[in-house]
Amino acid sequence: MVDTVISRHRPLALLAAVVMAQLLLLAFQIKRDHDVRLIRYWAAAVVTPFERGGTWSLSKLGGIWSGYVALRGAKAENVRLHSQLAQLELRNRELASQAAEAQRLSVLLNFRESHPEAPMLAAQVIGASADPASHTLVLNRGEHDRVRRNMAVITPDGIVGKIVEVFPNTSQVLLISDRDSGVGALLADTRTHGVVKGNGDPVPRLDYVVNDEKVRVGEWILTSGEDRIFPKGLMIGTVSGATDGNPFQMIRIEPSAHLDRLEDVIILLSQQELTPKRGDESADSSAGSANPSGIVQIGALSARQSEKSTAAANVAKPAATAPSPEAPVQKAHSRPSQTQAVPPSPAHAPEAPQN
Amino acid sequence: MSYMLNPGAQSEPNIEVHKYYGGAIVLVCFLALVLQAFLHKFGHWAELVDLPLLVTVYFGVSRRNPTSGLLLGAIVGIVQDGLSHDNPIGLFGIAKTLVGYLASSVGARIDTENPAIRIALIFVFFHFHQIVIATTERVLLARPAPYFTFPLLLNSVATAAFGVAFFALLDRLRRTS
Repeated sequence: MVDTVISRHRPLALLAAVVMAQLLLLAFQIKRDHDVRLIRYWAAAVVTPFERGGTWSLSKLGGIWSGYVALRGAKAENVRLHSQLAQLELRNRELASQAAEAQRLSVLLNFRESHPEAPMLAAQVIGASADPASHTLVLNRGEHDRVRRNMAVITPDGIVGKIVEVFPNTSQVLLISDRDSGVGALLADTRTHGVVKGNGDPVPRLDYVVNDEKVRVGEWILTSGEDRIFPKGLMIGTVSGATDGNPFQMIRIEPSAHLDRLEDVIILLSQQELTPKRGDESADSSAGSANPSGIVQIGALSARQSEKSTAAANVAKPAATAPSPEAPVQKAHSRPSQTQAVPPSPAHAPEAPQN
Repeated sequence: MSYMLNPGAQSEPNIEVHKYYGGAIVLVCFLALVLQAFLHKFGHWAELVDLPLLVTVYFGVSRRNPTSGLLLGAIVGIVQDGLSHDNPIGLFGIAKTLVGYLASSVGARIDTENPAIRIALIFVFFHFHQIVIATTERVLLARPAPYFTFPLLLNSVATAAFGVAFFALLDRLRRTS
C-alpha cells in the first residue's frame, strides 16, 4: 500500500525527501540561543510532548493504582491498624502507670534507705471509705504484715494518718483530715504546740494556739511526737491561713501529703524517731532526710512542696537566729495534755528552714 | 483540472521532451555557478542576474521531468550555498529544489518555447525563489529577510530579460532527434 502510493507519487515523495534532508541539514548547522543547534530544539519539541504525555499517563496510572487498585486491602489493614493502635494505647497507659508507680516506689525506697534504723513497711492504697464524711483509706497490709493499730502512716511528702483498724490482710487508715483525727503538732518557727484536727473537709486545722501567738502564713507545721503515734519532726503541712477565734486561733493547714490522691504510703512500725543516714544527707536530696533544722524533710518531691519550702524559708527568715536547740517553748498550750512541750533533740534543732 | 493538483504526475503527450549532449547540463550548471561567484568581484551589478536560478528553471522546463528537475535544483542550490560565505548549506538548496520541481511540472504541461512565457516564468520563479528563501531565513535563521522589495523587483525584471536571451543560447545545446 505504501509502496503503491510512493510509486504513484514518486516525484512528490522525492521532493519531500530532498527538502526534508536539506531542512535537517540546515537544522544541524543553525545554532540558536545558548549555542544549541536547531536540530536539538526540534528534537526536544518533537519528543517532549510525548515524554510529558507519558509521564502524565504513568502518574495517572500510578495514582489510579495506588488510589484504587492497591487499596483493596486497605479496609482490612485499617481494622488491623485500629486494633493495633488500641493495643498500643492500652500498653502506653500501662507503661505510663508503671513508670509513675516506679517513681513513687523509688521515692519510698529512697525514704526507706534514708532511715534504715526505723522499721517501716510500704503499702498500697486499695480502697477508701464509702462515707464522704469519713476520711479513711484501706491499705493492702494487715495483721499478717505486723501492722497494728495506731501505727503512723506517712508519705515522703508528709504524714497521712494512723491505723485505726487492722484486718488479717488489710488495714484502715484514718486520715488527718478526718474529724476524729488528732495529731500532736508544733509550729516550726515558734515551737508553739497544738493539735492538728480534721473537720471533715480536706483542710485540717491547728487547734489550741492562743490568739496572742504570732503565726505566719506558710509556716511549717511538724509533728511533736506527743501523741505517741507519729515520730517527732515529721512534716504535717503549712499554715494556709490564720484568724483570731474564741478562745484560740483558727489556723488552717494545707497538708503536705496529697491526701486526695494517695497510692503508695509507708507504715511506720514503731514510733522511733526518724534519723536520717548520715552518708546520704547530701547524696540524695529527693529522699527523706533531716535538714539542719531537725525537720524530717521527707518531702521536696513535688513542685508544690518545693514552693512551700521556698515560702516557708522566706517566712522563717526572721527566726533564723532566734530559737536555739535548747530554747524552751515560749508559749504554753491550753490543751492540758500538751502543756509541757518536749525540747527538741539536737538532731531536730529548730533553725530556720532552708531550701 | 486534476493534473493541477499533482503537476509532476505525467507529461502531456503533445509536449516535446528535449535532450542535451552529454555533460552539457553539468557543464552549464558549473559555469553558471562559477560565473555567479566570479562576477560578484566586479560589482553589485552582477547580482542583478541569478544565473543558477536561470539554469535550474531552464533545464527544469526543458527536461520536463520533475525528478531530475528537483535533483538538479537541489545540487545547484547546495553548491551555491557552499560558495557563499555566510549561508548555511540548504538555504538556496531548498528554494532551488522547489523551483526545479515546479519548473519541470509546469514545463510538462505548457509550451515554454514562447519568449513571453519564458519571461513570465522566470519572473514568477524568481519571486517564488525569493519567498522560499525569505521564509526559510525568517523561520530557521531568525533573520528579517524581505519577501518583496523594489530592488528585488528590478532584479527579477533584469533576470527575466537576461533569461530570455540566455535560454535562447542554451537552446543550441539541445540534441536534435
